Amino acid sequence: MTSMRNHTRGAVLVTGVATLSLIVAGCSGGGGGSAASTQTKGVTITVALAIEPPPRAALDAFTKSTGITVKWTNVDWDSLQTKISAAATAKTYFADATDVDWSRVGQLGKLDWFYPMENYVDTKAMAADMPQLNSFTSNSHVVGIPYDASFMVTTVNKALFAKAGITTLPTTMDAYTKDLQQIKAKGVVQYPLNIPFAAAEGLSTYWYQTTAAFGGTILDGKGKPQFATPDSAGYKAAQWMTDALKTGLVPPGNINVSDSQGQQTLMAKGSVASTFSDYSGNVGSLYDLPASSSVVNQVTYLPTPGVNGAGPNLSNPDGIGIPRQAKYPAAAAKFIEWFTTAQNQSDFAGASGPDKVMPGFFIPSRMTGLSELTSKGKLIEGAQLGNLLKGSAPVFPEGAPAWYPQFSHAVYTNLHAAATGSMSVADAVKAIADTATKLSNGS
Amino acid sequence: MKRNSPWLRRMGVLFLLVWSLVPLYWVLNISLQTDAQISAKPANYLPPTPSLSNYLALISGTGELPDAIRRSMVNISVECGVATVVTVLLSTLAAYAFARMTFRGRRILFYSVLATMAFPAYTTLIPLYRIMTFFGLVNTYTGIILVYVSGFLPLATWIMYNYMSSLPISIEEAAQVDGASRMKVLWHVVLPLARPGIISTAVITFLFAWGQFLFPLVLSSDLSTQPLTVVIAALQGRHTVPFSLLSAAGVFAMGVPALIAVTLNRYIVSGLLTGSVK
Amino acid sequence: MSFSTRRRVDLLPYALVTPLTLFIVGLALVPAGYTIVASFFRVQELNPPTTFSGLDNFRRLFGDEAVRSSMGNTALYVLVGVTLSTVLAIGMAVALQHRFAGRSILIAVLILPWALPGVVEGIVWSSIWDSNTGLLNSLLSSVHLIDHYQVFLGQNQLLTILAIELVQVWQITPLSVLLVLAALQNIPGDLYEAAKLDGCSSWSVFRWVTLPLARPGITIAMVQAVIVTLNVFDQPYVLNGAASTGASLTMQTYFISFQNLDFGEGYALSLLITLVTLLVSFGVFKLVYRPVEF
Repeated sequence: MTSMRNHTRGAVLVTGVATLSLIVAGCSGGGGGSAASTQTKGVTITVALAIEPPPRAALDAFTKSTGITVKWTNVDWDSLQTKISAAATAKTYFADATDVDWSRVGQLGKLDWFYPMENYVDTKAMAADMPQLNSFTSNSHVVGIPYDASFMVTTVNKALFAKAGITTLPTTMDAYTKDLQQIKAKGVVQYPLNIPFAAAEGLSTYWYQTTAAFGGTILDGKGKPQFATPDSAGYKAAQWMTDALKTGLVPPGNINVSDSQGQQTLMAKGSVASTFSDYSGNVGSLYDLPASSSVVNQVTYLPTPGVNGAGPNLSNPDGIGIPRQAKYPAAAAKFIEWFTTAQNQSDFAGASGPDKVMPGFFIPSRMTGLSELTSKGKLIEGAQLGNLLKGSAPVFPEGAPAWYPQFSHAVYTNLHAAATGSMSVADAVKAIADTATKLSNGS
Repeated sequence: MKRNSPWLRRMGVLFLLVWSLVPLYWVLNISLQTDAQISAKPANYLPPTPSLSNYLALISGTGELPDAIRRSMVNISVECGVATVVTVLLSTLAAYAFARMTFRGRRILFYSVLATMAFPAYTTLIPLYRIMTFFGLVNTYTGIILVYVSGFLPLATWIMYNYMSSLPISIEEAAQVDGASRMKVLWHVVLPLARPGIISTAVITFLFAWGQFLFPLVLSSDLSTQPLTVVIAALQGRHTVPFSLLSAAGVFAMGVPALIAVTLNRYIVSGLLTGSVK
Repeated sequence: MSFSTRRRVDLLPYALVTPLTLFIVGLALVPAGYTIVASFFRVQELNPPTTFSGLDNFRRLFGDEAVRSSMGNTALYVLVGVTLSTVLAIGMAVALQHRFAGRSILIAVLILPWALPGVVEGIVWSSIWDSNTGLLNSLLSSVHLIDHYQVFLGQNQLLTILAIELVQVWQITPLSVLLVLAALQNIPGDLYEAAKLDGCSSWSVFRWVTLPLARPGITIAMVQAVIVTLNVFDQPYVLNGAASTGASLTMQTYFISFQNLDFGEGYALSLLITLVTLLVSFGVFKLVYRPVEF
């Protein structure tokens, strides 16, 4: 009898302790809200970006001189944006330095998810050397530092154009379209144009660039749509893009192809002759690399054909900033400073040889970095790029609105639907315009 | 019945084999080829020069991808392993109480547990995320394991309950008459008898946990806790990863569950069918 | 003596079920309750104060074009998924009904698609559906049924939905097969004997003996199919991304919450999905289930 009681009591005790420990573990576990540290020596910071890390040697040199170890995480762009949102809304830590995309500056600024960079680095001095820094300012705070000068360019495969008998490259939209049709008619390639119609961000940026080529803008300063009427640039751009698919200028499979996929599997393999909205630096970092391309030395940048001549190149620079939940913001700032020096930028882009190249790094955001690269003759088509960079303009002159992600989602899903034919271009454009109107009205 | 059936059955068996195995064969096939070889039109139905280079690229050497794969293998093993152990433990204890004891609230608790199975898991995703945030458990093993356990406990309890109910009560009664306490009966008599049921529950829970994607996608933000499934899905999003490498990663992720499913399929079947067979 | 013993023993069951209860209450019932309550509030990151908003979230959901189209897509997923998986399951269960050499190996093979991670299966099948290097295109062109490679995913909506759902069917059919098989094995052999003696054709036996008596198993198989198809996420996400052609309701919940940062709407949509799941499951149950006794 006694043993029975003791055993039972014992069992209850064990289960109770087990349960309690589960609860306690639940409450105390995890890295809750530890206060941000000003420490810089001897710490390890996490850097999360959508690109490959710089060469090991460079990072080691950084660690040696500052005592800061860098843990690099390469996350694909879409997932990274979701992570940034998720971590910020949950107020949890996930990185000390991470991506600040030009399109998110409005949202990030409004939500105050990032430390103002002017508190950590001399942004005034930087501004003169980095033309795109002002796109990273929101509410008079600098949300992030642009580390590259990515902008949208038109690329053409000269060899394929020549094969079709085209000796002077087009300068207007009409000539460009005619040339593509000629390439198709002559059988040089079956589908000469690459447009990434997958419902993803790449489709949105393609449309912005095409709209600029047609001579217009997307939103005004208040966020109101500028493309709602059929005679507007944005409408014409949408029409042109979907017509290209319907008339067989674009491979049918592109309905599911994203921007980078199209560049790597189509343009770099010579399956298409041109990408109207490509990314600056791709010639040097993709099309001219034997490891990834079958069209080495065939692809060149073309000043974007516009209505009456060259159109503008819209900039989509990538930036890096410090989330509010960073554990070591001071250390992260040191890293950002190092990462964006002119010397490092030009090295990453290939100025000092292939050992120091950072895979996927386009072109430096600093003018001094760019000129260093060009003077060493290491920037493929550097002069051309330099000119295009000078003429580059931001997509949204007043900065990207805070509701940009939702807007972009509307853009790419509707344009995709128009491309599949399940929606007319008119309906698609109307849907996008309605979304912009609704969001800019604050609903 | 005598003439048609064997022919029909053979068709059914053939269909079953093709249906289940061809997709798996195909991904294995691609994983043994190089990027250039997989662009062939028509495709190579057999790898022309079978090579393990994709697998080597995934697991050996330095570099960000092999590191990520190795780290996430560790993560998924820890998360699934611990979640399985905890789930089996808690469900066995509770199932014994439901099956063999009477107490106030037994019915309502039991039906509540079953009712939560009817709720699709994704319904609770966002509030769970916020609860985990509140306790600072986002991106921790503890947080992910707690969520897994809470998700699989109802099914595990159901399986164990059915199993225990089907055990002959006479043995337990005999032991009790002999003077053993209930806990002793549970430990020394029931558990050994229930071993097959426990294995079923453990295997099914482990497989479910291994296959999780959306929950860890939301709850784990970096490589310190990301399981293999999330890392591999992210690879697909990167588009710089060739299909051949991606396929190798896929085969890799399928290796463990495939092995378990084939060797322990007896337990899986009996576990899933618990309660259906009279 | 016996009084005090009985009262002490009474604590044990509570001790045994306490951990389970804590989990269920804390991590299942509380979040579910939270979802229900919060769906009536405006919870938007971009618009801070959380205020009561009644049916506003629901109204905005139904006014959202993307949500409406994903409702249509999901309805198709359920229709295709439940029909296909049930028909296949019945067929395969009948094939496996009677013992034969190698049957247990076959069952082990059968389980494989169910046991593998859904996300990885998405990758597997995208290498089959791919419009440049996919297996299906390759096979069809090898036997000269098509002259150029087709686009299965993304272009034609019905084809896209079919292609995506087929992947989910591949994953869930094994469980359905097992459930129907178990039900079939409960049917006593002498019923088949009697039917044979009466001279019934094998189709008649199937139609009038096998099928009706397997109803309980078929019901459970269909209900579980309804639940998973209504909540499909992994397959459309991996195979077709965010495109409205194939976006499912659960995907919308994800976008609304983590992209638009409108958690209130996210909760409301989750609640709607749950309600519809319960309703449809109940409907299927009522339609298909018949109690069976031997």
